[in-house]
Amino acid sequence: MTEPVLACSDLRYAYLERFAALDGVSLSVAPGETVALLGANGCGKSTLLKVLDGLIFPDSGEFHAFGEQVLEDKLEDEQFNKGFRGRVGFVFQNSDAQVFSPTVREEIAFGCLQLGLDRATTADRVDDVVSMLDIGELVDRAPYQLSGGQKKRVAIASVLVMNPEVLLFDEPTAALDPRTQFWLIELLHQLRTAGKTIVLASHDLDTLPELADRCLVFSEEHRVVADAPTGELLADHDLLLRVNLVHERSQLLRR
Amino acid sequence: MTTSTAQSQPAPAWLLQREVALCPCGCIGKRRKGSYVAKTLSGASGVLRQAMSSDDIAAQPGLLQRLDPRIKLVSLLGLLVTVALLRSLPLLAGAYVVTLVLAAASKLSVTFFIKRVWLFIPIFTGIVVLPATLSIITPGHVVLPLWTWHGQPQGFTEQGLHSAGLIITRVATSISLVVLLTLTTPWVRLLAALRSIGVPRMFVLIIGMAYRYLFLLLDTVDDMYTARKARTLGGGGDSAAGRRFVAASAGTLFGKAHQLSEEVHQAMLARGYTGDARSLQVFRLRRIDVVWTICAAAGAVALLLADRGLGG
Ligand SMILES: Nc1ncnc2c1ncn2[C@@H]1O[C@H](COP(=O)(O)OP(=O)(O)OP(=O)(O)O)[C@@H](O)[C@H]1O
Ligand SMILES: [Mg+2]
Repeated sequence: MTEPVLACSDLRYAYLERFAALDGVSLSVAPGETVALLGANGCGKSTLLKVLDGLIFPDSGEFHAFGEQVLEDKLEDEQFNKGFRGRVGFVFQNSDAQVFSPTVREEIAFGCLQLGLDRATTADRVDDVVSMLDIGELVDRAPYQLSGGQKKRVAIASVLVMNPEVLLFDEPTAALDPRTQFWLIELLHQLRTAGKTIVLASHDLDTLPELADRCLVFSEEHRVVADAPTGELLADHDLLLRVNLVHERSQLLRR
Repeated sequence: MTTSTAQSQPAPAWLLQREVALCPCGCIGKRRKGSYVAKTLSGASGVLRQAMSSDDIAAQPGLLQRLDPRIKLVSLLGLLVTVALLRSLPLLAGAYVVTLVLAAASKLSVTFFIKRVWLFIPIFTGIVVLPATLSIITPGHVVLPLWTWHGQPQGFTEQGLHSAGLIITRVATSISLVVLLTLTTPWVRLLAALRSIGVPRMFVLIIGMAYRYLFLLLDTVDDMYTARKARTLGGGGDSAAGRRFVAASAGTLFGKAHQLSEEVHQAMLARGYTGDARSLQVFRLRRIDVVWTICAAAGAVALLLADRGLGG
């Protein structure tokens, strides 16, 4: 087996040292793989993604990315920081948090400029991403004036423009209308074919078979209770019921 | 987790019944006006929002919009200093008229501009200036007697009115200059201009953030107010409850704002931010900037010289 792109072992994390969010989570993601994180609300999916993006650091346990351990003081080193930030992109669950620039164009350009790309190249890339995501009319507007779904598009654009190898998506399809959801699933498909490594948190079991190779299921005790290929996992109704991912009356169980 | 509700508990019986209180025609209870607190809350957020979302105006093709933001910032600051030094009422009034002309040349609606400027003046100066026009504070020639005291007529004095006029026109002109700057410059450019004339990075970053959060807070205030209004049955007329609501909301608001600002910071870090924000915008000086600078400098000098002649 090739060396994993992301590898965690026995991560533990508690907010404010009181509210447990991860309790001994291990995970390894191979290059080009798409992994879905499943679990009920509050089980720790967003927290794990933030650890994987080097935004919060586990109380115990180790996280390696691209073969190197990721630590808080290592990220302060400019070279390591640029390398890591350029290779891992994160689309937040809350797009309000992710759009902070005064105009959409500046927002999308932000990452590239921070990583030291020159203005001309950045502007070209921004144009490409804008036409790809069909947000041409929005570029001169302020992000706070946009609707939830538009903000999400802008947030996705601002991450894609950096062309990262690893993409982390936190509930990408939430807050999107059905058409846009479909568009996003298409997009994820393309990214996958392009060889990107993707980790996404999701509640949407229906679209899962198209999206992910493998699923990781969290229990409400913040532990991983299953790690299996998507098809296999979706067939295990007892497990899905136990971790509150489906309800007895759910459509999925009747199939 | 303890809060698991997925193993569905039966819904409480009251939830499944219709209630009289929810009568759609509002026929129960007396009609009351909304409380003062509630009105002020949503009113204030509306006014602030309107006063600040000026990016539409900044996008119009007017005179000031065409200038390089750095030049505009520096020249308007220079004019601000000039205005502060003037001591002649007619010259100040003239300078005020010039700001109106600039507003018109920048495609601003002049009435809108005047309203926006004069909205602030009574708040900032009226209270201070008004007493000074009276003979008890500023002795002198009484032009409008209001009452007599020890046989002397008392009221507005010529000297008092003159100095009040001086203060008010000076403030009006200064505010006009600032409003011209902020209305005709997109917020991003203004921040970048501040940065390029040497304002420290952290300071500019904080102004930018503060501006963004102001909007976010306004939205949140609106949302919370609307949410409360939707839940209140009796019309929300009780102002003690209203005040309590405001106090409680303030706490929640800061909690929310704090959590959000932490996430925003994380989102910036995630895209490689390490303290020095870079911008797409490059500034270039053009002929119009040079012409404008010369005109502004000449105007300022002329005003100061004339002031020497008239006042000294
Ligand atoms: N800022 C915070 N302060 C305190 N506790 C927090 C904070 N953020 C999350 N938590 C707690 O940590 C746990 C895991 O939260 P997390 O956001 O990772 O869940 P999640 O799986 O993403 O849920 P969801 O599906 O609702 O997005 C939750 O129990 C939550 O209450
Ligand atoms: Mg989450």
